[in-house]
Amino acid sequence: MIHFENVSKTFSEKSGNTHAVRGATLEIKKDTIHGIIGHSGAGKSTLIRLINQLEQHDEGLISVFDYADIRKLNKESMRMLRQNIGMIFQHFNLLESKTVLENVLFPISAFQKVSKTTREKALKLIEDVGLKDSEHTYPAKLSGGMKQRVGIARALINDPEILICDEPTSALDVDTTSNILSLIKKIKEQRDLTVVLVTHDMHVIKAVCDDVTVMDQGYIVEHGTLDDILFSAKHPIAKSLTASIGFNIDDIAKDYGHLPNLTLLRFKGSVTSEEILSRIIKQTGAAINILFANITPSKEGLMLVSIDFDDIDVIKQALEAKGVEIINDRF
Amino acid sequence: MIGFDSYLQAFNETLYMTLMSTAFVGIIGLGLGVMLFSSAQEGLKPNKTLYSALSIITSVGRSIPFLILIVLLIPVTRIIVGSILGPSAAIPALVVGGVPFYARLVELALFEKGHDLKETGRAFGLSDIKIITKILIPESLPALIRGLTVTAIALAGYTAIAGAIGAGGLGNLAYLYGYSRNRPMVTWISTMLIVGLILTIQLIGDLLVKKLSKT
Repeated sequence: MIHFENVSKTFSEKSGNTHAVRGATLEIKKDTIHGIIGHSGAGKSTLIRLINQLEQHDEGLISVFDYADIRKLNKESMRMLRQNIGMIFQHFNLLESKTVLENVLFPISAFQKVSKTTREKALKLIEDVGLKDSEHTYPAKLSGGMKQRVGIARALINDPEILICDEPTSALDVDTTSNILSLIKKIKEQRDLTVVLVTHDMHVIKAVCDDVTVMDQGYIVEHGTLDDILFSAKHPIAKSLTASIGFNIDDIAKDYGHLPNLTLLRFKGSVTSEEILSRIIKQTGAAINILFANITPSKEGLMLVSIDFDDIDVIKQALEAKGVEIINDRF
Repeated sequence: MIGFDSYLQAFNETLYMTLMSTAFVGIIGLGLGVMLFSSAQEGLKPNKTLYSALSIITSVGRSIPFLILIVLLIPVTRIIVGSILGPSAAIPALVVGGVPFYARLVELALFEKGHDLKETGRAFGLSDIKIITKILIPESLPALIRGLTVTAIALAGYTAIAGAIGAGGLGNLAYLYGYSRNRPMVTWISTMLIVGLILTIQLIGDLLVKKLSKT
């Protein structure tokens, strides 16, 4: 759906050049919610702005839909590309001089007369995002969460295949954030929609994303499914991000480094609901000390244990026989 | 004797100069202001050379004292208007004096929300022209009107200077009939009339801004 091949973007400024994106290679799959996370200045906002060419890359190739190289598009094709990509913003960017309905219709009314069907579609969208009866209100009268709902409805008016979300919840409180994220998730499930979401908050990633890209200083430092990142992130930034949502395995491993045979276990699918460990303990008489355990949004289990037993390989074989993956290269 | 008719005529001349020059300044200043905003570094089509050139022109334009500007423009006025006396003859100088002033106010007004609005428009596939006409100007309208009000008031003040050197109007009345012939009453009445005009402009501007602001 979206493919980056060795893409770089540099901003020249008086104070020197800023390498916002450096040699990014990335695949964003159709019908997924793809999160891009990193600290401020990591280049994540620039990276997503390349998708609809709000910024132009200096090097590399970006293909979106059937366009093999979006840098080479003429004006008309660029307009079509952009109309097929909806976008919502951190500060909502609503037009203050227009009502909710006029805002939602704007991506169409800027080009042509609005038909009755389009108007009805807009009203339906406004209802879908939970703003029924607010269609004639001006944005200044709306709360932050409501403004973002208008932003979402407006981004969807052209039935885009891609929705770009630039820090969509960073200006919102915790409860509103979770409501907006649920809305994005619901909308994604109702339509053929690929969502690319930029955030600095790992909770947002955990709440909605299927795939995750971690960026630092313009580089893509980790890339994979959410579970991959939670289980096997190696880059310090990625590790500190996973730690921020309670997956602070490395800190715990460091604190309990004196314990024997620290082992990280990954329980996939149905194995999370079986009593695997207690059976092994009963059978072998091994002492297994659980230091950390958590379950990811996709129901995979992660456990950090210390195994006190003479023949460690017996335990490992027993675990592997049950489909538990042993990750030992992390520490 | 200065009768009611004389005051009315002078008032009408001042009103005519103010409105005509404000209209021209509004249109040309808006155009120049949009060009300034667009060619600036954060604008729609950054162009350092164009921006510097426009910037120098507006800065120089604003720094020439109005009285000197009228004198400097005499040849131009003669070609455009055909005379250097009367209210119409004041218009070219008023426009040249007012345009750089308003252009800067326009640039400021657009700059306020410019970056976000530019990006929003681009994301919807709008061309630069459409971003200006469909987003930037409508969204900045209250600020643009506020700027135009300030400009119109400055222009009303300028008409008094122009009036004193032959353009007619209340300035002419106050100076030539009031001050020069030592009739302070005429000066006072003229002053009150021009103050009334300026207050009215401010009132209309405020009402318009209030009507246009959706906050």
